[in-house]
Amino acid sequence: MGRNVKLRLASRIGYVDLVHEMAESLAREARFTKPEALNIGLAVREAVINAMKHGNGLDAAKMVDVEFRRNASTFRVLVKDQGPGFDEARMSDPCEGANVLRTSGRGILFMKHFVDRVAFQRRRGKGTVVVLEKRLDNGGRNGRSAAITGRRR
Amino acid sequence: MKANARHHGKVTVVDLSGKITIGEGDLKLRQAVGGLLDEGRKNVLLNLGGVSYMDSAGIGELVACYKRATEKGASLKLLNPSGKVQDLLVLTKLQEIFDIYRDEREALASF
Repeated sequence: MGRNVKLRLASRIGYVDLVHEMAESLAREARFTKPEALNIGLAVREAVINAMKHGNGLDAAKMVDVEFRRNASTFRVLVKDQGPGFDEARMSDPCEGANVLRTSGRGILFMKHFVDRVAFQRRRGKGTVVVLEKRLDNGGRNGRSAAITGRRR
Repeated sequence: MKANARHHGKVTVVDLSGKITIGEGDLKLRQAVGGLLDEGRKNVLLNLGGVSYMDSAGIGELVACYKRATEKGASLKLLNPSGKVQDLLVLTKLQEIFDIYRDEREALASF
């Protein structure tokens, strides 16, 4: 069963919470558990922040389009900006060496951590589309992000 | 996001609650820690027990606070990050940078 929802937003950081909440709500509707829905919301949040800041340069006249698509197997979110486009390959690894102490540059890392697949489609002169996908067949049961543990004192 | 400071001898504990995200929580965190550093506080313990989640901007602000504290000769440590926040500290390798404690008394004694 499919269900599509579309949003069009001006590039204002104040709208980020709204999109995050909608993503979580639609993910819950798609039967993801609460923690998995939060992960999807966090991934969408990062994609929208990237689109507004780095894609559209926080120009409120430029729009961000968010489309939620759901079919029998996949929950998919497309985030489109109207910026010049960017090359993911040129992004530095935020977990490498001195980059760990950088105060920005972790958005893509977060997206990749929270969903099963992240793809970037650079459209010449038409901005970038970020595609986020989470499989429905293991929604709420894969425990992917919870598997990481760290040393604690 | 809410931030409440309490003093234990030479250490200031900042109890944080809510979410630390772009546009609000990150600014409040900056103000809370910046204010303490400007007052000359040298030992700051951020209690993250009430923080439900952070985004990349929130994590970035945590790093900025750590760097500001270090520049001012102060020490900033973390207490009791929730599951989601701990997950992000591990993901970003910041658990190798920050001193992170589960027990407040142990954390206070570490300064």
